[in-house]
Amino acid sequence: MAAAGLCPCRALLARCGGALRVLCGSVRGLATGPEMHFGFQTVTEAERREKINQVFDSVAKKYDIMNDSMTLGIHRVWKDILMHKMNPSPGTLLLDVAGGTGDIAFRFINYVRSAQERQLQQKLKHHQNLSWQEISESYQEGKFKPLGDSQVVVCDINKEMLKVGKQKAQHLGYSEGLSWVLGNAEELPFDDDKFDVYTIAFGIRNVTRIDLALQEAYRVLKPGGRFLCLEFSHVSSPLLSRLYDLYSFQVIPVLGEVIAGDWKSYQYLVESIRRFPPQEELKAMIEDAGFLKVDYQNLNSGIVAIHSGFKL
Amino acid sequence: MAAAAAGGLRRAGWRLWRGCAVVRCQLYPPQRALQASAVLKRVSDEQKEPLASSSQQQFDSHPTDHRPEQEPQGPRPSYTGQGGQESEDYESEEQLQHRILTAALEFVPEHGWTAEAIAEGAKTLGLSAAAAGMFHSDGGELILHFVSQCNTKLTELLEQEQKQVQLGEAEKKSTDQFLRDAVEARLRMLIPYIDKWPQALSILLLPHNIPSSLNLLTSMIDDIWQYAGDQSTDFNWYTRRAVLTGIYNTTELVMMQDSSPDFEETWRFLENRVADAMNMGNAAHQVQSTGEALVQGLMGAAVTIKNLAGLNQRR
Repeated sequence: MAAAGLCPCRALLARCGGALRVLCGSVRGLATGPEMHFGFQTVTEAERREKINQVFDSVAKKYDIMNDSMTLGIHRVWKDILMHKMNPSPGTLLLDVAGGTGDIAFRFINYVRSAQERQLQQKLKHHQNLSWQEISESYQEGKFKPLGDSQVVVCDINKEMLKVGKQKAQHLGYSEGLSWVLGNAEELPFDDDKFDVYTIAFGIRNVTRIDLALQEAYRVLKPGGRFLCLEFSHVSSPLLSRLYDLYSFQVIPVLGEVIAGDWKSYQYLVESIRRFPPQEELKAMIEDAGFLKVDYQNLNSGIVAIHSGFKL
Repeated sequence: MAAAAAGGLRRAGWRLWRGCAVVRCQLYPPQRALQASAVLKRVSDEQKEPLASSSQQQFDSHPTDHRPEQEPQGPRPSYTGQGGQESEDYESEEQLQHRILTAALEFVPEHGWTAEAIAEGAKTLGLSAAAAGMFHSDGGELILHFVSQCNTKLTELLEQEQKQVQLGEAEKKSTDQFLRDAVEARLRMLIPYIDKWPQALSILLLPHNIPSSLNLLTSMIDDIWQYAGDQSTDFNWYTRRAVLTGIYNTTELVMMQDSSPDFEETWRFLENRVADAMNMGNAAHQVQSTGEALVQGLMGAAVTIKNLAGLNQRR
């Protein structure tokens, strides 16, 4: 019945300008049907899910250390740039998908906290002659909700990654406005029109059906909400590309073996980056999901890219 | 499953509504789209009530709207009691952006020309605050939007005046009076934002904003001169515009420093500058004619001397 319901709407879509795109989408859908890629191997959908789960089970504990050593710490800068681009105001509800170890979530909390403080200071500056009572009241208000109703929900499909994230949160003292949810990006356990911002940092590459994940992102966002995706992408400059390939294939698996004792997982990480659709293709996919004003920003000449889109 | 189907339909309707205005009017009444725009419209009309919750309820109820008996036939249903054109407001991204920026202006006195003001504006339209991310974070687009809005208002004002003059309802103003009034009318539009205007000027001077801000400035000056009746296409064209630009900008600067009631000092300054410019024009004209007379006199004297010296005689 659902299929019957969907068919006429396909037909409707085909009639208007987006006909070509829809056709492409369905063709792509067919091609990715049962046969998927896992790194450079071809596997079935179920196998891929299982294998990716294994990869993250095995890397979870060393995930952060590996990130630092593989990118020489630059991934922190990339995540900061993402946060700067998001520029969340106090009161923002963030859904961070595939954010197991909480890197984005902690940054978000810090960012909102400082934004809130800045606003408070500005407010104080405005009324210069305050009584002591007023000042103490305003500080108490600030203390009551240092995040100004902001919340971040971290959603990850992998239990081990979430476990690491929770431990980290405890260790770093983040508790307020932070929740951890085990869930699949392709069928998010949230209501429609819930979040202001959806981020997925270095995660969408490992999602088996990217189109489904994008549709889910569109569903859970409020109108006016923003989709942000930070992901490894394709390097345009040929010289850098050669160097980058050399580094990824020769150095990263070795690092993986030495630090995490796991060659295969890091081999997979590198291969999956090569398999991931390039900037323009991903942009088209995001547009297909219904997002508007989609654009992307290359960082380090395309080693990673931030895609952004709005649900309007 | 049914919910998924409804969701699909909804998305399809949404895109369809954006994509092709023609097809949908003829064959497929896009009631979901209409509903959505009606909802958004209503939300933006009733700005005082808590927006997030109301809009959410409305959106949640959409799948049920797809029952066939509710299919609107023939003319568009008017949910808001306003014309169909109003519900078209969300058709293009740009129009929506303009609406957000217009709504944001209300919050400028409080938040300045910032992303926060835009976020607040987006909230009044029932959108998420994250929509502010569409715009450059320095607030340049907000200022440029404001400037171009003011320019449009000024052009409308001048056009109205011109019509009145043409219909004989008002007397034609002298050029200096006209310029003074036009510049004053334009500057008065800044009064609600005067505290934050220095910030705006500094943002407009950032390199990436300069081209568009200059463009807006020159087109405004152009419009004023055009309504003042300037048809010249010679060198004068440039000088006139340069002079008026100078007057406008200096008066703007004076205005920001002005603390007198109703900016009296600013208007006095403006009057003096316009008078100066007029005097300058006259003086230039006088210098020119004096120069011409002088040259003629000198030529005459030279001929006379020639004649006296007998050099002019042909033998």
